[in-house]
Amino acid sequence: MSQILELSDAKSKGFFGRAGTVIGRRTEGRGIALLSVILVIVALTEPLVFSAYSVTLGRIALIGIVALGLTAVILMGELDLSVASTLALSGVVMASIPELWLGILAALATGLIVGLINAFFVSVVGINSFIATLGMLFALRGLAFVISDEAPVSLVNKEAGISFGEPLIGPITPRVLIFILVFIAIQIFVSKAQAGREFFAVGGNRQAARDAGIPVTRRIVTGFMISGFVAALAGIINSLERTTADPTAGSTVLLTAFAAAIIGGNYLKGGRGSIVGTLIGAAALGVLQVALTISGVQVPVQQIFIGAILLIAVTTDPNSLRSVRGSIRTLRQGRAKNSVTT
Amino acid sequence: MVTAESEFGPVLIEADAITKSFGGAVAVDNVSISVRAGEIYGLVGENGAGKSTLMRVLAGILSPDQGEVRVDGKPVQPGARAAISAGISLVHQELSLVPEMTVAENILLGSFPTKVGFTEYRKLRQIAADALAEIGVGVDLDERVGRLSVALRQFVEIARAVAKKPRILIFDEPTATLTPAETDYLLAMLRRLADGGMAIIYISHRIPEIFSTCSTVAILRDGKLVRSSSIDSLTPSQVVDQMVGRELGLDLATKRTATPGAVVLDAQGITAPKVNNVSVQVRSGEIVGLGGLVGAGRSELVRAIIGADDRTAGSVTLTHNGETITIGSYQSAVRNGVAYVPEERRIDGLALSMSVEDNIRLPNRKELSVAGFKVGSKTAQVAQLLADKVGLRPPEIRRDVGEYSGGNQQKVVLAKWLGRRPKFIVLDEPTRGVDVGAKAEIHRLVKEIADQGTAVLIVSSDLPELLELSDTIHVMRDGHVTGTLSKEEASEKSVMSLASGETIVRSS
Repeated sequence: MSQILELSDAKSKGFFGRAGTVIGRRTEGRGIALLSVILVIVALTEPLVFSAYSVTLGRIALIGIVALGLTAVILMGELDLSVASTLALSGVVMASIPELWLGILAALATGLIVGLINAFFVSVVGINSFIATLGMLFALRGLAFVISDEAPVSLVNKEAGISFGEPLIGPITPRVLIFILVFIAIQIFVSKAQAGREFFAVGGNRQAARDAGIPVTRRIVTGFMISGFVAALAGIINSLERTTADPTAGSTVLLTAFAAAIIGGNYLKGGRGSIVGTLIGAAALGVLQVALTISGVQVPVQQIFIGAILLIAVTTDPNSLRSVRGSIRTLRQGRAKNSVTT
Repeated sequence: MVTAESEFGPVLIEADAITKSFGGAVAVDNVSISVRAGEIYGLVGENGAGKSTLMRVLAGILSPDQGEVRVDGKPVQPGARAAISAGISLVHQELSLVPEMTVAENILLGSFPTKVGFTEYRKLRQIAADALAEIGVGVDLDERVGRLSVALRQFVEIARAVAKKPRILIFDEPTATLTPAETDYLLAMLRRLADGGMAIIYISHRIPEIFSTCSTVAILRDGKLVRSSSIDSLTPSQVVDQMVGRELGLDLATKRTATPGAVVLDAQGITAPKVNNVSVQVRSGEIVGLGGLVGAGRSELVRAIIGADDRTAGSVTLTHNGETITIGSYQSAVRNGVAYVPEERRIDGLALSMSVEDNIRLPNRKELSVAGFKVGSKTAQVAQLLADKVGLRPPEIRRDVGEYSGGNQQKVVLAKWLGRRPKFIVLDEPTRGVDVGAKAEIHRLVKEIADQGTAVLIVSSDLPELLELSDTIHVMRDGHVTGTLSKEEASEKSVMSLASGETIVRSS
């Protein structure tokens, strides 16, 4: 063949160099580091978290399932603030229908429709997704209150709800099982399916995606429908376990789900991140919450911890550290020059 | 297939009487070209001459108002997909890659090989590897594109076009961001692809490239085809004259009036990363040029001088009207009358989504404000004056800077600083990626700024530009000044020999 222009340095590195390259390509580093720190501290101070693993798993599943759906949207550089309201609305819809299976189907359909409406506003009308889904956040919550007549709706089939809370095998409750299945499904979709891989293109460089002939609008619709569907699934699980559907349900879920996705290394501007990262982020937050609860820390104080962890996670990102160093240097110079002026 | 340079195969692609207008403006006016297999067809013209529009018509991205594109004598259906299946592939000027996806995925973006909706990664990697092998570039298939250098991204972009198995390949200014070595490699690659029977259309501002590589050249001006002929029948200066349609006077005709005055900038013993103990003095009304190869430490030097980057040793003073100020930080430098036009003007120099007027206002906030509020009429007046002075076209100060071409954007950057009447101005590669006409105007402006009494320090890899503008040239290599040349001593040869480290003509 002809001469080869060798511009890549990856091959010249040794094993550690190559390992560094591989790690540098991943986005989960931050989440893994944080999870490890939390696990070590918890293992030393509150080992009960691990013996009560069914509680911990349940907690992770609760935070994680919504976060997983949300990640599909975040990868495309969009936001979905309506997930918590979708969760509440779909629970109420399910509980309002006497026949359990019909109720579940209606709830799932609700999630899909919400996703469609979100996508319509974002990609057809062209409203910024923060604003579009903020509107939906209020509208859907209101709708949940209207349908439920502002009071929790009890399930007609209470037995189904009670048996739903029972473990299937070992610590695996249906909630945990569904969480695992959702994780596997979305992970395969995003990493293997063509449409899912193209989410990264839509989020990373939308113009390039359009130029390459990727149907951007359709991808956005798919993303929001995944998010809506998964939120509805969470609403169903919640209502079944509690045997009532509360229109106020899930108010803390939204921000925790975002926190899990961000800690997991997902970039809010899109194009960079992973489903595995979100799983790790959810695990870190779940373990932390359970540990704090077992130690008797009050919920408001727990929120302070979560906030701190989120900020630590984001500021310890190499990019953020670099910019912090830069700002400090500028500040220092700014002071120095005043003293040198003659 | 015929491979000899002089004999080409049959005509592969023809554009027949293409006309395309946007709104009322005719971008391409009744242009016909035809390119044969194995031919490299150069297309030149000033920015806005219609080159990119014509290429987008050929690639099916735009549909022409009149005329048609034919491949093998058969008309190509409208649309980008039809153009691709007819064998036409365009290498974009603006990089259109997804930074977070891998090299392999970017090469096949939008056309992943799939089985029931799932990507066949082995096949994808194979096709991508083949495309990279065809252009002879070795790059890790699994590397994220965002981690590659700009040059390497450009090659990935080319691999992407090649992966479509084109018979006609169109390049829109591929060398604007490449170093000379990379450019040479790219040009050799073009010849190889052409020898394999491809028809290549090559757009570039760099006339020497056109002459070293193309066999035919077509010149566009104001949307019209001015001339299309064999490269042997033209000289570079004829091409330039026909591009601009007027005598440019690119020689040293524009005489400078002012003679250098007192030393304004005095930088002594500057040491910083990639800069080793360099001293530079610039007098009032003097243009000092920094020559050297890319990576010699010139940009690092000027950034260290103005305090934009840290320096580990050295002192910088600015003297004006007998008053001497020490320059520490960049902020203090700007406050004391230093202006800096960086190399990456899109990134560092301009807010593209703001209007020309607002951009001009940015460094002149204090002068154009009363108690912190913008004074509209005054700003508009000053901005308009400056826009006219730098020859902005069209001179509409309310337009967003992002809507202007590269050359005009550079003029806005200059206008922005002209308003301050800086004592000392640093220009880093002021005409990179700018067309010939705008380049001449920028040169005129730089001389004018110096004639006002400003001390000018200019970094340029463009040798004719460096020689034309500079009163004194310092040549750098590996962070050192290897020689200082006066205007009389300076020639392309003397600068290059100092830059590449051969004979030292005269050290200072």
